Amino acid sequence: MQAFNYKFQQLEPLKSFKRVPVPEMYVPGHRTCAGCGPALNYRLVAKAAGKETIFIGPTGCMYVANSSYLCTPYAVSWIHAQITNGGAVASGIEAAFKVAARKGRNTGVFPNIIVMAGDGGSVDIGLQAMSGMMYRNHKVLFICYDNESYANTGIQTSPTTPYGAKTTFTPPGKEIPEGKVLFPKDPPQLVIGGHPAVKYVATTTIAHPLDLMNKVRKALSQPGPTFLHMLATCPKGWLFPEHLTKEMARLAVETGMWTLYEWENGTYKYTNVPKKYKPVNEYMKHQGRFAHLKPEHIAKMQAFVDEKIKNVKQAIAVAAPVPTARQKA
Amino acid sequence: MAKELPGYGTIDVPKEREVPFGAVTEAPVCTQQLFITSNWRIVRPVKDDEKCTRCLICYMSCPDACWIFKEEEDVMEWVSDFCKGCQICINECPSDALTAVPELDFPDGVVRLDKPF
Amino acid sequence: MAKELIMTGCRAAAEGAKAAEVEVICSFPIRPYTAIMMELAKMVADGELNAEFIHGEGEHAQLSVVLGAAASGARAYTGSSGVGVTYAMEIYSPMAGGRYPAQMAIADRTLDPPGDFGSEHTDAMCTRDQGWLLGWADSPQEVYDNTLINYRVGEDHRVMLPQMVCQEGYFVSHIPDKVILGDQSQVKKFLPPYRPIGPLSTTKPVSHGPQIRPDQGAPMDAMRAAVFLDVPKVIEEATADFNRIFGRNYDPFVDQYKLADAEIAFFIMGAHANTCRKAVDRLRKQGVKAGMARLRWVRPWPTHQLANALGHVKAIGVVETSTSYGGAMRGGNLIHELRASLYDLDQRPLVTSFMAGLGGETIWPADFDYMAKVLTEMVKEKKTKRYVYWIGM
Repeated sequence: MQAFNYKFQQLEPLKSFKRVPVPEMYVPGHRTCAGCGPALNYRLVAKAAGKETIFIGPTGCMYVANSSYLCTPYAVSWIHAQITNGGAVASGIEAAFKVAARKGRNTGVFPNIIVMAGDGGSVDIGLQAMSGMMYRNHKVLFICYDNESYANTGIQTSPTTPYGAKTTFTPPGKEIPEGKVLFPKDPPQLVIGGHPAVKYVATTTIAHPLDLMNKVRKALSQPGPTFLHMLATCPKGWLFPEHLTKEMARLAVETGMWTLYEWENGTYKYTNVPKKYKPVNEYMKHQGRFAHLKPEHIAKMQAFVDEKIKNVKQAIAVAAPVPTARQKA
Repeated sequence: MAKELPGYGTIDVPKEREVPFGAVTEAPVCTQQLFITSNWRIVRPVKDDEKCTRCLICYMSCPDACWIFKEEEDVMEWVSDFCKGCQICINECPSDALTAVPELDFPDGVVRLDKPF
Repeated sequence: MAKELIMTGCRAAAEGAKAAEVEVICSFPIRPYTAIMMELAKMVADGELNAEFIHGEGEHAQLSVVLGAAASGARAYTGSSGVGVTYAMEIYSPMAGGRYPAQMAIADRTLDPPGDFGSEHTDAMCTRDQGWLLGWADSPQEVYDNTLINYRVGEDHRVMLPQMVCQEGYFVSHIPDKVILGDQSQVKKFLPPYRPIGPLSTTKPVSHGPQIRPDQGAPMDAMRAAVFLDVPKVIEEATADFNRIFGRNYDPFVDQYKLADAEIAFFIMGAHANTCRKAVDRLRKQGVKAGMARLRWVRPWPTHQLANALGHVKAIGVVETSTSYGGAMRGGNLIHELRASLYDLDQRPLVTSFMAGLGGETIWPADFDYMAKVLTEMVKEKKTKRYVYWIGM
């Protein structure tokens, strides 16, 4: 494998909120919904990455809602990509910067190149391009902000939509009482499973903002492709009141619906593992997209989550996470 | 042979309708002033300075970066232009220093813009 | 020193790209253009070309990669054939409207169904409304030349459009012919470096392609259309410079052969023009005043130049090597725009079309004899009897 021998930033982890860089790279003034989880993700990612950054924005909420109309909230360079090709456009940008560095046209530090793709743009219509980029060892951070639907087009199911979720393509009805029958794809596992060049994969939520920012900085400090799976709670799609945007992310981790971990060199490192998992209904009961489910459907979800967290319980949780100022029991 | 053939004419886009070359726009610097969203909210967060512990959770919780920590004055400042009234900060504040107050209670509440965008 | 070699059209395209010092290349294999990428891969591996050679995961990815590269200031190159060209369809408009002047080499190929490796113009012709520069070469030499001319025109700040440089699959891509390669001093004189406008950078942040309102859509379209009003002039300048520096003799838009006093003429595109020229010579020996107009640019379509070149001809046979099912003439797609170009003349030539060379078939001298016979009858009877004749069927 060719080594990446261009000068790039090593971003130190942030130890507290007060140490977080002040300048906003995702500035206020965008048309995202009030309480938008993906928007908060974007803001934290952009803050963590800093100004030596180029974003690639495949079509989705974080394209349309952010850039309506003819203006954007990105204080760093950004380019629109098709929902199909985030990974490919990023590959071309990375290659161009490499050649420019070799030819002496760019003497500065190699930029952070970050794809901010939704779940569809990462593992559905965008899967091919994402995988191609991971395979080719480009120094690009691919972020999947997962709001568990094609949200921008009015909430349609995507491969990460949970079992039992109501969307406009999976409406519950007499014939199909759950609404969504299929269980979701697992994006980090897709990446980890078959891409030998990938350097670092991690999951994050907005309820753990320092952890999120540090994972971004760690990924950007790698000499090759990296992947972050970010839980991006969506009040409009999941049908919960918008002030609970961070609360939903917290509950996702506390119920096992979402697991926080890092993967590097074949090793998993779990953080924020609950001592005792709350039942999944504690999470689902707040969300209108699950309101139609019967006890047998919730039980199915619980069984699915129990299976997933079996592996976590066996792993050794390593370093204590950076404590947040408030941690709900 | 040929009489004078028609031409293609000219294409004159009025200045006010022009789209930048290749749809490439300048990046904003601190805020995107073309998208003020203050007229979205029906409540706004009001801070009790004595209860506030400067934990910065509100600052880290706002999708619209509407809380700024003024280090010299040691106070949290609320950015009115962009707050959409989502109340995440109010819900997250560990010391109950924030309360939601209806926009209509404020003389500058319920902002009206000259044009939507 | 300019070198004279024997090489295929594929190799000529690669040599053109190498001379242009392309910086980002994105490959994916599909017959018959693949050899272009194989040649470039070897050049990069041997250190002859300082470029990133990216193995795209498909043609859609190829175009996406070169879009990103061009947006970042690199001269980018890719290519495809047949259904690969149509698979990438989504990206053509974003590239043209985003004004990213990368180049795509196309060794044309019949579209599926089912698999047919033979040449047809249909694949690239399908994309002609997307806003790219588009044209065909008739020989490996012209492939090399067009590669350089297209970068020069496409990257001109009055243009800034991506370009499709097409050649016949097999007939040009795989049959070797004499090619004179320029030396680097000639190339440098002709082709300046790529200067991007508002590229992605960390020192001057820009946003490429924010969402626009519907009422901004029309001005966006209008501005894209307006560029094509300026392109012909740039093509004329570039062709004149090329001719001067490299010692060629190209007409910028229409390659005219014994056309000035022709009564019947063939309107043709691509390599079958080589057979056509021989047919014209033979017909002339038999006392038939035949001529040929070979179209070099489909986009921008040279409306006035064609009217001026063909206006005096009594009957024109459009040789169509592409299909437009259900189209006005129920045949190909060159005839529509040719007839439109001639419509406003006082004396309109009779125009018919001949479907030939489809699926990769050879167009034989006897086929041109047949076409000449039809055209001659049309002149005698002073009418077009049919819009289209399917050669051999």
